[in-house]
Amino acid sequence: MGKPDKEAMKALRQQRKAYIDRAKQEIKKQRKLIKAIKGQIREEAKTVPRIAAATKLPSDQVLLFIAAMRKYGQVIEVDKDGDYFTYKLSAEA
Amino acid sequence: MMKETHSFQYDALVIGGGIAGLQSALDLADQGFKVAVVEKDATIGGTMIRLSKVFPTLDCASCITTPKMAAASHNDNIDLFTYCQVNSLTRSDGTLKASITQKPRYVDPDKCIGCRQCEYQCPVYVKDEEQGGFSLRKAVYIPFSNAIPQLALIDVQHCSLCGMCAKVCPTEAIDYFQQPEQFVIEAKTAILATGFKLTPIDQKKEYGAGQVANVISSLQMERLLAPHGPYQRVIRPSDGKEPDSIAYVQCAGSRDLSLGVPYCSRVCCMYAIKQAMLLSGALPLADITIYYMDIRAFGKGYEQFFQNAKAMGIEFVKAKVGKIEQGENQNVLLRIEEQEGDGRVVRREHDLVVLSLGMVPDWNPAGICPVTTDTDAFIKCVQPKLAPTLTEMEGVFVAGVAAGPKDIVDTIAEAGAAAMEASNYLNTLSSGQAA
Repeated sequence: MGKPDKEAMKALRQQRKAYIDRAKQEIKKQRKLIKAIKGQIREEAKTVPRIAAATKLPSDQVLLFIAAMRKYGQVIEVDKDGDYFTYKLSAEA
Repeated sequence: MMKETHSFQYDALVIGGGIAGLQSALDLADQGFKVAVVEKDATIGGTMIRLSKVFPTLDCASCITTPKMAAASHNDNIDLFTYCQVNSLTRSDGTLKASITQKPRYVDPDKCIGCRQCEYQCPVYVKDEEQGGFSLRKAVYIPFSNAIPQLALIDVQHCSLCGMCAKVCPTEAIDYFQQPEQFVIEAKTAILATGFKLTPIDQKKEYGAGQVANVISSLQMERLLAPHGPYQRVIRPSDGKEPDSIAYVQCAGSRDLSLGVPYCSRVCCMYAIKQAMLLSGALPLADITIYYMDIRAFGKGYEQFFQNAKAMGIEFVKAKVGKIEQGENQNVLLRIEEQEGDGRVVRREHDLVVLSLGMVPDWNPAGICPVTTDTDAFIKCVQPKLAPTLTEMEGVFVAGVAAGPKDIVDTIAEAGAAAMEASNYLNTLSSGQAA
């Protein structure tokens, strides 16, 4: 597909408005969350409970995003600290 | 608006692109028949490609399934129709006609090269059901790394239409305006290989109704054990702790009248034992317990597999789990009634609990084709002893779990049998002997 027609895109945006509005809200929330997680593991590798405590985010949410950020190459697993593994931002992030 | 634009002719139509459907399609194609495989998902491979390893050999599931997927994809006699829905399957004038809807991927399949540039740039994260919901994908994505076909698709319900995917796509494959397309497949015979799904994890309120952290399904555990799983190791999903104590609750969705599943799902004992053995390898210090009513190790080599698991130190407790609750530190509390000894009720705590959920059919033919289902809702076999792949519809056969719970070994054997019945039917038709 070449560059889509502006009017057609406008109509499509109108048609999918509910989905788009929800997705935009999600993007905002997710960016805030990712920024908070990245801030915690930029300098030092940390476990999920430590990141969760520092960011006041639920630990399952932190792990969910850590898993996704690993998948997309932004986070690496480092060492083990007790029963937990530690995570750090990758050089590419 | 949809309109019927295309009609395709084949010798055989296979509905379902899991291991049963692929095996049937390959067996028919190898005999020179032209076969269409219609799959509801965006990739073929079914449940088996999502598993870690298989019992009792502990072979890698992907190592068995991927070559079958590739063979079907490269076979000149097989055409794959993925991300399609079967609306109807009827017979008229001796020909089966299937009305199919191709769901829109919003990506041109002739242009997409599967480079995943779109996926990397997409700003929206969405829960990845392919990883048991333990990781995230993007709103534009390829289901998994060995998906066939390797084509991206857009989840419009989570797409912000930001245009980033179209901007970075090197082949201009993104098509936000794609519409569903309807087409017809005409065939002389068909095989139904529509597989199964697990009973819902939130079905039983006594087991926490899906609200207790670190209670997961057996298919979610398959993802934790898979090399390309969400964490690439086994940790618990609530906080990333490496579990010291893991429990399996057997018959958590089968043999339970209150759930409407009175039958045995036949594979849960063996997959729980398999997973327990794999966990013993991944977490050598962890305590693994299987709470069971009775172990059904009926297949070749299965009893030995069970004995090996016991010898490895896996604890088998004959007990019925009555209640599952959240314990302290995100642990899981089980209230169990022992079925040996004095039958006392005890409480035990585990880091992670796996529910061995039952199998229910993933497809109901009602309103689609005149094939009926049995009391268990799986497709009815008209000659279950002598010809278990025959359905009530002439020239339409059934293979795999679509006909009832069974393991991979039996599924593949039955898929071969269905292909043989279909082949005989086609040969009878061509020699003019059909009724």
